[in-house]
Amino acid sequence: MAKLKLALYWAGACGGCDVAVLDINEKILDVANLADIVFWPIALDFKYHHVEAMPDKSIDVCLFNGMVRSSEQEHLAKLLRAKSKVLVAFGSCACFGGIPALANLYTRAEIMERAYIEAPSNDNPNKTLPQTKTQVPEGELTLPELFETVLTLAQVVPVEYFMPGCPPTVDLILKVVNALATNSLPPAGAVIASNKTLCEECERKKEDKKITKIYRTHQIIPVPEKCLLEQGLLCMGPATRGGCGALCVKVNIPCRGCFGPPAGVPDQGAKLVSAVASIYQANTDEDIARMVNEVVDPAGTFYRFGLSNSMLKKKRLQRR
Amino acid sequence: MLKKMLAQLGIEEQRVRLDWVSASEGDRFASIVNEMTEQVRALGPMSRDNGGKNG
Amino acid sequence: MKKVSIDPITRLEGHGKIEIFLNDDGDVANTYFQVPELRGFEKFCEGRPVEELPRIVPRICGV
Repeated sequence: MAKLKLALYWAGACGGCDVAVLDINEKILDVANLADIVFWPIALDFKYHHVEAMPDKSIDVCLFNGMVRSSEQEHLAKLLRAKSKVLVAFGSCACFGGIPALANLYTRAEIMERAYIEAPSNDNPNKTLPQTKTQVPEGELTLPELFETVLTLAQVVPVEYFMPGCPPTVDLILKVVNALATNSLPPAGAVIASNKTLCEECERKKEDKKITKIYRTHQIIPVPEKCLLEQGLLCMGPATRGGCGALCVKVNIPCRGCFGPPAGVPDQGAKLVSAVASIYQANTDEDIARMVNEVVDPAGTFYRFGLSNSMLKKKRLQRR
Repeated sequence: MLKKMLAQLGIEEQRVRLDWVSASEGDRFASIVNEMTEQVRALGPMSRDNGGKNG
Repeated sequence: MKKVSIDPITRLEGHGKIEIFLNDDGDVANTYFQVPELRGFEKFCEGRPVEELPRIVPRICGV
């Protein structure tokens, strides 16, 4: 069998997904046997013009991680879409927006102001902001345009597969490598994880789903083996897709929701509000108010990894 | 809690209301709907920011 | 002036590009290093609970 052509790219990303691919350790040699990697900025020296010169659909699979919020990232998404037979949204950022999608709670102007002007470590007395075109004595420099909103990959180009996770687990990556090797990828549109929620995978004992107080993670030490949500910790398990092996809950960390919404749930944050509120055991208005106050940051907690993928997507500016 | 989260997302709490009305409380239903309609109308349209490249 | 672009910079974490301007003798007149991305961690960490920060900021660099 001719070697597959594989490309990996990072848009608004942190490098964690690329490192996750390397975390398969010696099995990377199996990947090298199976495929020629034709583009992978973290590891190989191919440039954008190499990709532009490739014939359309000549890349067999492209693993694209990172969210899209600049014209350069959009360009690469469209370019790699044209050059690839199969495009995979790899990691929570490409699937749902990820942690960088929390930037949707602020405007682009607020972000630029803070990063380039206000931040205490800056030395920028002229309050210079980056521009898309800048004239210098030798010629012109260009920078991509930043978008107002953080977008998922699928909001920019059609995508065949979704691999959630921050980053996707080694098991799931190997599952995909194996599927490629044996030509047995699932039907397009599939999410490579479980179709059930994390709760089904979690081995903790679930008894009475009732909470009278919400604790922040530094306030209590969880009892092992008992459901974390029942102990008052905000575990996103009830409305998070499983398939990760429940790695976090196994070490006493409540699930943070990085695998995104389970099958059939269009908005993870809304589902989580509903799930958490439905187990509140509060009989007086004061108790209810107290419990609402105990969730200090609902948008950041329930939409932690998925703000771009939500129905509202970003903060709608309030009218004053 | 929904109102608290929506506030973080820039949606005023007056745009959301929860009430229980039985099928036999026709007048009450009409007055709640009218109140809510006026309340939302007074707030004006939500921002047109649909979360695209340029807002 | 002739310009040589290195885009993207590879084999490191992060995005960058380098523009090298050459004069008529073919010597380097000036070189510019640019970072073509911004995610805004400095801003969106504001308002998050403090115990979340050690779990948000590792996503600045996953390496």
